[in-house]
Amino acid sequence: MDSSTASILTEVFFETLGYWYIIVPTIFLGLIVGGIPGFSAANTIIILMPLTLALDLQSGLVFMISLYCAARMGAGIPAILVNIPGTAGAAATPLDGYPMSKQGKGQQALAISFVASCIGGLLTTVIALAAMPILARVGFYMHSVEMIVVMLFGISLIASIAAQDMVKGLIAGFLGLMIGSIGTDVVYATPRGTFGFLELYDGVPLIPALVGLFAVSEAFVIIEKRVIVNHDNEPKAPNWTDTFDGVRIALKRWVHIVWTSIIGLVIGVIPGAGASIASFVAYQQSRSFSKTPERYGTGHPEGLIAPEAANNGVTSGTLVPLLVLGIPGGATAAIMLVVMQFHGVSFGPSLFENQPKVGYGMFMAMAVSYVIMFLTILPLSRYMSHVTTIPTIYLAPMIISFTLVGGFVPREYMFDMYLALAFGVLGYIARRTGYHVAAILIGVILGPLLEKYFLWSLKKSDGDIMVLFSSTLGNILWVAFAMSIILPLVFGMRRKRKLEVPAE
Amino acid sequence: MKPMITRRTLLGTGAAATALTLATPGILRANTYPERNINVYVPTAEGGGADRNFRAFSSVWKEKLGTDFEPGFYPGASGRVGYEIYMGKAEPDAYNLIFGNMGPEVLNWAMQAPSFDVNDYFYFGQVDKDPCCLFVGAESPLQTMDDIIAAAKTRRLNVGTSRMAHPASIGLLALGDKLGIDFNLIPLQGGKSTVAGAVTGEVDFSVLTSGSVIAAGDSVKTLLVFGDNIVGEALDNAPSINDAYDMDLPEMLSARAFGIHKKAADDYPDRLEVLTSTFRETFDDPALMEAYVANKGTPEYLQYAGIEECEAFKQSMLELGARYRSLLSGA
Repeated sequence: MDSSTASILTEVFFETLGYWYIIVPTIFLGLIVGGIPGFSAANTIIILMPLTLALDLQSGLVFMISLYCAARMGAGIPAILVNIPGTAGAAATPLDGYPMSKQGKGQQALAISFVASCIGGLLTTVIALAAMPILARVGFYMHSVEMIVVMLFGISLIASIAAQDMVKGLIAGFLGLMIGSIGTDVVYATPRGTFGFLELYDGVPLIPALVGLFAVSEAFVIIEKRVIVNHDNEPKAPNWTDTFDGVRIALKRWVHIVWTSIIGLVIGVIPGAGASIASFVAYQQSRSFSKTPERYGTGHPEGLIAPEAANNGVTSGTLVPLLVLGIPGGATAAIMLVVMQFHGVSFGPSLFENQPKVGYGMFMAMAVSYVIMFLTILPLSRYMSHVTTIPTIYLAPMIISFTLVGGFVPREYMFDMYLALAFGVLGYIARRTGYHVAAILIGVILGPLLEKYFLWSLKKSDGDIMVLFSSTLGNILWVAFAMSIILPLVFGMRRKRKLEVPAE
Repeated sequence: MKPMITRRTLLGTGAAATALTLATPGILRANTYPERNINVYVPTAEGGGADRNFRAFSSVWKEKLGTDFEPGFYPGASGRVGYEIYMGKAEPDAYNLIFGNMGPEVLNWAMQAPSFDVNDYFYFGQVDKDPCCLFVGAESPLQTMDDIIAAAKTRRLNVGTSRMAHPASIGLLALGDKLGIDFNLIPLQGGKSTVAGAVTGEVDFSVLTSGSVIAAGDSVKTLLVFGDNIVGEALDNAPSINDAYDMDLPEMLSARAFGIHKKAADDYPDRLEVLTSTFRETFDDPALMEAYVANKGTPEYLQYAGIEECEAFKQSMLELGARYRSLLSGA
């Protein structure tokens, strides 16, 4: 980094800090819209487009970035407290976050999530800023063949979940994959399994499936209890200790935060890949190389850190192709592109030469947002966690109505509300009969993406299946994938053997 | 003395009075149309290009028409959901219009027939037209059409397109027919992915509507336009396909237009007249260009077309779709 760049960065940093009066209220707005299922930074920016366009360039930029970061973090709050992931990017968060809440550790879980999100987001922002030219090249190497392997990393989580009950786990996973294949096919748009519903032509809409499987089914279950928190884990009186414990637990696992947020960053810079892929891949990787994989899914802090650090890593990652190549990495980045072009900013390779303050300003806005977010949101975990103490007689109907509206919002079809209810019933039956809803959901979310990349690869190679092993990077990823499946088994056997030795 | 009112006079007068009575509400309606807001069915998602385009145009049109528009967004199945709801549920009374894209959305009907007769609606006013084009990534080894033709002789080239049933795909297939090249179309699902595919090398090059290509800036280079290049430098001064290869291909466009039920036009010709005349007047108002540019429209693409031109374009899309159906639908 030369001295002129350093001076621009310093100048932009202090300028951005001066926009605290925009950042602070936007953070709270972002937390709210992120927490409401169906809402997101993208549709909030669309709704507030007249306001955004009326602001000057720098203010509009700071507003959009703060909203983006806060919404990403906000989606984790209901996922942890009441098992409602507001977006697909937060779908892996409740796997360990919600069990923590049920154990009366909701406040601690929120603190862990906030620390992982902020540090993960801040760190990847700095890395993205420093390594932008290199990261921008990732998309040039990660094509459909390579993405198939990345998808398999995430989908292999089904096998991990199935390990507890192989038959039921695999049935749930395959059911999810089958549901994920509903809709028109990627190449010729031939409808499959739509039962004549036009609303299913684009596939099963994600938010209704998400809120139905997780939240609605959970509401059916918790109504049988007095409060979410298990009886033997009655919530304590609010105190700061749990928050500090959460911070300590997260900071102790700083290597984990760094590692999983970088996974998010790398996946985020690939155009078209998103937070849902990153959070599942990070969770799978975290579990695979953990010394205590059996604790995942039971309220293990590392199972919460991984998806939260990763999905915030994606946030900074999506800015890289937008700024360097002019290609938005995700929906929010695409809307940012429209707003920035309105202000006469042309993205692409020339941006950092012509308008360096705009390019660096976006990363600085992100860094400043994460810093301010950490300071403003962390204290709130003490109060937010009270949600888990609300009697379920009130909470369950609220969850159902809240999530049904969330299912309706993205497309505004009544059909989607019915679909969320149907998925709620499916999820309830799955829970009651010992099938893991997460396995179904992984299939629903990642199945269509895997199919898309697979069909693209086959179409490009005229149907030659060997295309899957046609690229060097792809082959390296295949080996890494095989290792991530085999090594945990080897480590597990070794640990088992070590434990058996003293017994003898 | 002859009676003042004969039976014939009475019956005649009665018939005339009845006819007048029956006709009066119609005349009054014609004089007062529109007496309430007009619903517009948009078959794409809120916040997208069609939404911006609609808002820009309707902000000026509503002043001429003396009423407001209420958009409803019905995305899904490449526009099919919106059209099915419009044709199936909206009352054909000229208070319900559709704002669609005469290019890709009409092509859908050629691939898979909808549940309604495609002639039961028609477009009466085109807001803008955006020609499709062929472009490469800035770092692609293929930087000219000659490079592409030469490479196509050695291997089958993969070409990104937004979706198979798209005017850009037809433009490419027509080019392939002319040059004797078999291109392999890869549907990359959306404009962003199609641009990204060409830039990152997922495909050899891509075809897409030019507005999205212009937005990609320096990352891409346009080599050919499947229509007239009326923006010049913004599309790298790329030539028209007809000029470059001596072809007679209709313009391959994304063309957004307002449509109406045929029954509404038949039953209420006066209302259609109000709509078409005010639509035309809107183009004469300089405020339209301001609104269009403010909503990120390319000024040159703001072009009026009336019922006849729209119908001709719709029919040409249906014909070309039928011609290339097997290649685009795999059927």
